[in-house]
Amino acid sequence: MKGLIRQLRPIITYARIDVKKLFRDKVAIFFTIVFPLIFLFVFGGLFGNDSNVSFKVALQNNSSSDIAKQVEQSVRNSALFEVDASISSKEQATEKMSQGVLDASITIPEGFGDVDSSGLPGGTLEVFFDQSNATGAQTLASVLDGVIQELNASVVPVKQPFGVSVEASSEKGLTQFDYTFSGLLGFAILSLGIFGPTSAYPRLKQRGVLRRYRTTPIKVWQYFLANVVSNSVYGLISVGAMFAAAMVFFDLNVKGNILAIIAFILLSTIVLFGIGLAVGGWAKNENQAAPLANLLAFPMMFLSGSFFPRFLMPDWLQKISDFLPLTPVIDGARLLVTEGKTLVDIAPQIGLLAVWGVIVYLIAFRVFRWE
Amino acid sequence: MDIVVAHNLKKKYGKKFAVNDVSFTVKKGEIFGIIGPNGAGKTTTLEMIEALRPIDGGSAMISGIDVSAKPRAIKQIIGVQPQTPAFEEKLKLKEVLAFFASIYGVKAQTTDLLKSVGLEDRANSYPEQLSGGQRQRFSIAAALVHKPEVFFLDEPTTGLDPQARRNLWDLIESIRARGVTVILTTHYLDEAEQLCDRVAIMDMGKIIALDTPEALIKDLLKRGFKKRHHVEQANLEDVFIDLTGKALRD
Repeated sequence: MKGLIRQLRPIITYARIDVKKLFRDKVAIFFTIVFPLIFLFVFGGLFGNDSNVSFKVALQNNSSSDIAKQVEQSVRNSALFEVDASISSKEQATEKMSQGVLDASITIPEGFGDVDSSGLPGGTLEVFFDQSNATGAQTLASVLDGVIQELNASVVPVKQPFGVSVEASSEKGLTQFDYTFSGLLGFAILSLGIFGPTSAYPRLKQRGVLRRYRTTPIKVWQYFLANVVSNSVYGLISVGAMFAAAMVFFDLNVKGNILAIIAFILLSTIVLFGIGLAVGGWAKNENQAAPLANLLAFPMMFLSGSFFPRFLMPDWLQKISDFLPLTPVIDGARLLVTEGKTLVDIAPQIGLLAVWGVIVYLIAFRVFRWE
Repeated sequence: MDIVVAHNLKKKYGKKFAVNDVSFTVKKGEIFGIIGPNGAGKTTTLEMIEALRPIDGGSAMISGIDVSAKPRAIKQIIGVQPQTPAFEEKLKLKEVLAFFASIYGVKAQTTDLLKSVGLEDRANSYPEQLSGGQRQRFSIAAALVHKPEVFFLDEPTTGLDPQARRNLWDLIESIRARGVTVILTTHYLDEAEQLCDRVAIMDMGKIIALDTPEALIKDLLKRGFKKRHHVEQANLEDVFIDLTGKALRD
């Protein structure tokens, strides 16, 4: 026991001064704190307002009936439509649609809403859309269909025998930003874990700093553990800054338990740092380390859902990316942070990460060189 | 009492012996020098005794402990000053010393250590802010945090100005005065002559002479050696020191 405490002392001492060092090094502060925040603001800005999808439409009302005015009003007031008032003709609308700045043109024809021979008001809305935007047009058609249904019901009261009840799965829907955020968390932990040590250790070796440590009785596991501890603190600082910025500027809704989130972030930081430790600990110089680090980090960033959701990828690619070490980090973070799941719920992610942890640290121990 | 015993040390790189049958002993409290041209095997010999490089043949003992068998026990009782001292940047000197001390399981006497190498007012500096001579001295302080029995220095004065060299000689003398055995390599023969109680001259991986500097010189003179020029009582370095003073310039 006494021997163990004695062996742990250098680890605590080193971790403490290494964390202090972070705050003295502007470059390190940039890469640990500022760099992930830049990504957060760029991607948050891109996807932040996407939660309310809206259609840009041109609206022409050629009818003077009250009902036509009602329809016009409901389209103008709807959050789903953004009416482009500058368009007054069908030709103009067609041109804008072909440019992609307009989704559709809606025309309320002459006589719409007038009472016809059956004694009831009637009419047909005309919608034009660009051929290349067929899915958008379908959504638009079903939205307008709903408007017309309501209108029909107000004119001819009918009891609808069948219906569909639609309810959202969570009270407050996931915004696009919530998705983006967990991806960026994964990105920050990955870049800290891989790019940090793969540039630092080869430099320390070339300068002979690690060689100096080797003249002392320090053991490899002590040096590893010291670095794991300080890097975990770096990780918590970096991720903490991202959480703070996301909550203040992007209304991030943190649903999960804070302690569970911290525990999961720590596990993720430790596992991904192991990859950097293996590469940086093996490489004799930066020329060896940099290509290998990029080779490992970039495919993971793109395949594990850092920048775009994995469900956009073909099935076979998703199956492969399921097993990358970054995937459980991003999935687990999303489930915990934005979906309010517990650590028990994300046991598969934790399990996969733990397996990767054992693998990367075994490799790191085997290939480590002091010089 | 012999504190270091090297017996038939061998190191092989490929088919060539970098160190071939090197044997010597160092007495406790002695300053022992290994001199020789580049590539003679000085550094390799030191590194084998310091448990940094596997010993391919022969054996080395420090304080009765076999180096090959117990490398970690050896590292615990020796201090090592590498050729180019390097430390992590942005760490204060006192923090570096605290870390080194923690490795040996001792508490760093930071103030005393820094004072002993003339850096007591630099405890909060970073190593990269020190001059070459200061860094050498700081590195010595870091190697002595645990009060080692044997202190190894590999070319400690290479690249230093005459003032810094003299200062370092005084420092090494004072370390020996505390009972620490010192083993050093050097290219500078005046340094070996001034500082070392005994020197081993190495060439091509072998020790070709081993004795006190005085005895080695007498031996040469006995064989009829004569300098081509008459030797003055002073040389250019004495002039330089006389004109610029002994005070350190960092």
